[in-house]
Amino acid sequence: MSALTCTRVEVSPGGAAILRGVALIVGSGTRTALVGPSGAGKTTLLRAIAGLEPLDAGSIALGDRPLDGVPSHRRQVAVVFQEPRLLPHLSVVDNVAFPLRAARVGRLERRQRAAALLDEVGLGGFSGRGVRGLSGGEQQRVALARALCAEPQLLLLDEPLAALDPSRREGLRRLIVRLQRERALTTIVITHDRAEAAELGDRIALMLEGRIVQHDDPHTLFERPSSAAVARFFGATNVLRSVVERGELIVGENRVPADGRDGPVAFTIRPEHVAVGDEGPLHAIVSEAVYAGTHVRLTLHAGEQRLEAHVPPHAAPPAGAGVRVELPRDRLWRLPAEEPPGLPRVR
Amino acid sequence: MPDRRPSRLVAAAVAAAFAVPLGALVVRAFADAWRAPGLVPQRFGLRGFDIAFGGARAAEALTISLVVAVAATSLALLVGWPAARVLGERRLRHPAPVFLILALPLLVPPYAAGFGLSEWFIRLGLSGTIPGLVLVHLLFVLPYVIVVLLSGFGPQVTSLEEMAQTYGAGPGHRFARVTLPSVAPTLGAAALLGFLVSWSQYGSSLAVGAGRPMLPLVMLPFVNTDPQTAAAFALLFLLPAVAALLVATRLARSPL
Repeated sequence: MSALTCTRVEVSPGGAAILRGVALIVGSGTRTALVGPSGAGKTTLLRAIAGLEPLDAGSIALGDRPLDGVPSHRRQVAVVFQEPRLLPHLSVVDNVAFPLRAARVGRLERRQRAAALLDEVGLGGFSGRGVRGLSGGEQQRVALARALCAEPQLLLLDEPLAALDPSRREGLRRLIVRLQRERALTTIVITHDRAEAAELGDRIALMLEGRIVQHDDPHTLFERPSSAAVARFFGATNVLRSVVERGELIVGENRVPADGRDGPVAFTIRPEHVAVGDEGPLHAIVSEAVYAGTHVRLTLHAGEQRLEAHVPPHAAPPAGAGVRVELPRDRLWRLPAEEPPGLPRVR
Repeated sequence: MPDRRPSRLVAAAVAAAFAVPLGALVVRAFADAWRAPGLVPQRFGLRGFDIAFGGARAAEALTISLVVAVAATSLALLVGWPAARVLGERRLRHPAPVFLILALPLLVPPYAAGFGLSEWFIRLGLSGTIPGLVLVHLLFVLPYVIVVLLSGFGPQVTSLEEMAQTYGAGPGHRFARVTLPSVAPTLGAAALLGFLVSWSQYGSSLAVGAGRPMLPLVMLPFVNTDPQTAAAFALLFLLPAVAALLVATRLARSPL
């Protein structure tokens, strides 16, 4: 069952078209990580779903309930914004209980339910405190507890980890995943980091220039991207545009076994799958070797074809070395045919 | 802490600059007899207060001043709120002309503006009426109120309102529980300033008041003829200002 359905959503806040026909279906009880570069329209989509931006075209439905014309406060969509947005004149517990207050729940019940949620997010002793003395992470936890307190049909989180330092992110990320699972709460969480997306979402939706270009499980987005742009975003930086002849992909002067029909194609392969060593059908020159901590990033040139490879630091050849390269057949992914025209082709 | 000492000195100097004239005013108000060579008054008493507040005219002046100031300020807050909001959230592409129009009443001397209006006020039957006085005071109160109030609006308020909206708060709830508490300190400051601007209006009250007594109007004649009574009036004149100031500082200190 789908909890959220966006159909051809177009939004242009302040005149400039930001969402250009978004189609997105989110399954009930799932957690979708919405990723994309800055300016892709992720926040605008969240605001449109929450009713904070008017639609120019298209429609949004929650379950079988269309949201057209439904004001924000009747949508039952909770948003955890990038900044915690706590009310400075209320205590921690009253901030958490804010949605209950709006729903006219009695004071005692309000406080009890809010205090229980504070326990869950690990802020048990914080009830009576003011919100000003809290750290960024604590404030974001209060905002999370407030969102749960609303018992929404849909939870939207806009880069909830962005303001935290890396050592604090881990804890909050686990908390978000755990709370979502326990409640089977349909959730969309924005991030601009592809690795974080893989850990946060059981599905990932990639947004580029105002459209959702691929929405699938994390493994598929990393290994089987639907286009070169998706491949690049998820770090599959090698895009080989060439032709397949009699079951072999032509790379520069060499031939690599490859699957699929004969004809012009584009293949991708992730840098960590490129095998560099003494054997392999391709001959390449290492033009750059950059130590990146966990691996060495090699830039290789096989004729005119540029390739990137990630190799373990202990096995890295130096810059200028000649190496043999293998592109394992089962790691090569043939991109679907609809390539944007006008891109230069490497022959 | 040596670095705190200069700031304390400055604070003391500022406090003294306010307190010394005020002290002199208090002494003057209670000095029944204070002839030339004496450094201190020869006799203290309540003669000044008896004259100042003995007559019905003083009580009437106080009431009218209070009613007009409260009404003009309330009206200015009501009318100025939307304008302050639009200006504070920088929703206008060209705010400069709007500010100029708003500031125009401040560029014209109040008596001139009031005198210009007085003929029309007579024609409209507003001359010498409370609504007439409120209206002419509004002219001078409004710019101050808007300029102070607009600093309270901005992304910090709208972002909280958006949050409230997504958590089920309708317009009324949002206004009472989010907007109003968020702008309370600036609202207090704007109200204080508006009240004081109206409270001390002289020229415009004189021009359209048609002889209606108001505090500045009844006080001024005594300044030359009877300094003790004038001082007693001045103390009364100061009272709401001090009270309003105390309330405003309390509001400003309480969390946003």
